[in-house]
Amino acid sequence: MAELVQQPTDAAAQIDEKKKQKLLELVRGRAVARPTDLADDEVMVWPSLVVIEAVSAAIFLAIMFVLSVMVNAPLLERADPNKTPNPAKAPWYFLNLQEMLLHMDPALAGIIVPTVALASIAAIPYIDRSPLGVGVLGTSSKGRTIIAFTTVFTSVVLIGLILLDEASGRTGFWMKTVFNDWGWPEWTSGMVMPTLVIGIFVGMLVVMVKKIFNPTTRELIIALYTGFFVTYWLLAIVGTSFRGQGQDLTLPWNLPLVHH
Amino acid sequence: MRREQTLADRITGSALWRSVVRHGYPDTQRNQALIIASNVFLHIHPVKIKRYATKVTYTFCLGGLSFFMFLVLTMTGVLLMFYYVPSTDLAYQSMKDIEGSVTFGQLMRNMHRWAAQGMVIAVFLHMGRVFYTGSYKPPREFNWVIGVLLLVVTFLLSFTGYLLPWDQLAFWAVTVGAEIGGATPIIGPQVSRVLLGDYQIGQNTLIRFYTLHVIFLPLVAAFLMAVHFWRIRKDGGISGPL
Repeated sequence: MAELVQQPTDAAAQIDEKKKQKLLELVRGRAVARPTDLADDEVMVWPSLVVIEAVSAAIFLAIMFVLSVMVNAPLLERADPNKTPNPAKAPWYFLNLQEMLLHMDPALAGIIVPTVALASIAAIPYIDRSPLGVGVLGTSSKGRTIIAFTTVFTSVVLIGLILLDEASGRTGFWMKTVFNDWGWPEWTSGMVMPTLVIGIFVGMLVVMVKKIFNPTTRELIIALYTGFFVTYWLLAIVGTSFRGQGQDLTLPWNLPLVHH
Repeated sequence: MRREQTLADRITGSALWRSVVRHGYPDTQRNQALIIASNVFLHIHPVKIKRYATKVTYTFCLGGLSFFMFLVLTMTGVLLMFYYVPSTDLAYQSMKDIEGSVTFGQLMRNMHRWAAQGMVIAVFLHMGRVFYTGSYKPPREFNWVIGVLLLVVTFLLSFTGYLLPWDQLAFWAVTVGAEIGGATPIIGPQVSRVLLGDYQIGQNTLIRFYTLHVIFLPLVAAFLMAVHFWRIRKDGGISGPL
């Protein structure tokens, strides 16, 4: 027992005299921080945030009501497995995949490209780890210029490729018939060439952005993500509004069926 | 001088009222904190947040809007379930009944349809907002991955619901979708079989899509949303300028 009591005293004796701190002053104040203590850049959730949520919920509920009173959901005739509609279309948010089906092998268009795209998107935070630009739309004015540049580049390339395939007889890679004449197997025009085309244009985007903008990793990923974003919506619009009977390119007002 | 007790005072002072509502009128910071902390639905929020996090032009309400659409879809969906019959013989007729003879049936169906389209758009744009503001950066990496999964679940929810009306639009849209699934390299036929439950779209497909649509996928979405919202708080609230 005596030894145990002795120990702290020994330890205290070992404290370096130079490092000892002196008590200078006692200040009267609050002992603990309270949950309601607000810093200058803080607001109370009630009412500051809750009011915004309630008002936006009310506005969107009203919009949903008005829209639903004015526009009826489509209901065509009963499903008939023996009567294929022309064109038969997937839901609009998959029409970008259906559009790609017209240009390449179904496995590439419907499974491989979307899986690679989603996996790459999920991996973004593990590639770009710098905290630069958080909370700023487009990171910087350079980032926003890259967004505009990529939007134009992607749109031009996609529309060009669609028109090129269209000019050569629509279904499949534009040189498909030439490949067939040479006796090359189906997968050369269905898998290899489209993969090359995608690779070349993504590579072109990367090289151009690198040369013109000298980007950081974040800004380069902005270019790639914008490319995905524009591709998704542009192909969905083409598939929804510009594909008529037999999936031929058609102007929206000549479409046989209003698609929802 | 003692103020005379009004009827409102009697109600809010009663044992019944005080057993439900654990805070006073939220005009003091103390009560404003208590109202958030003592309510299970509001408790998803912290008591106080950074001022920039309330700026509508930063988030455009897109995440909240996605969740709002999910709630609208759950409520209208439950109402539709009272009348919809997932059988190839009866499904189309029950759709006609919902539209023609059920009170507010057409309105419920329309809201369900448009909210479903709205949710796909809102979730997609929400991902865009989070990306372009760099909000996926550490410590929010994992929540970004959860968000990508939620996007996939949203697509699947919308796609499984697409078949249920059992009209030409539904049948052939899902035919196209199933053909895409069947094109999976190596395991294509198996994917197609799992998706359709048969060699072609029929009763097995309908009950499969129905079950996925009304219970399995909503549960998965709710589970992922719980993680998603909880992580927002654990990662320090929504992102903001450094």
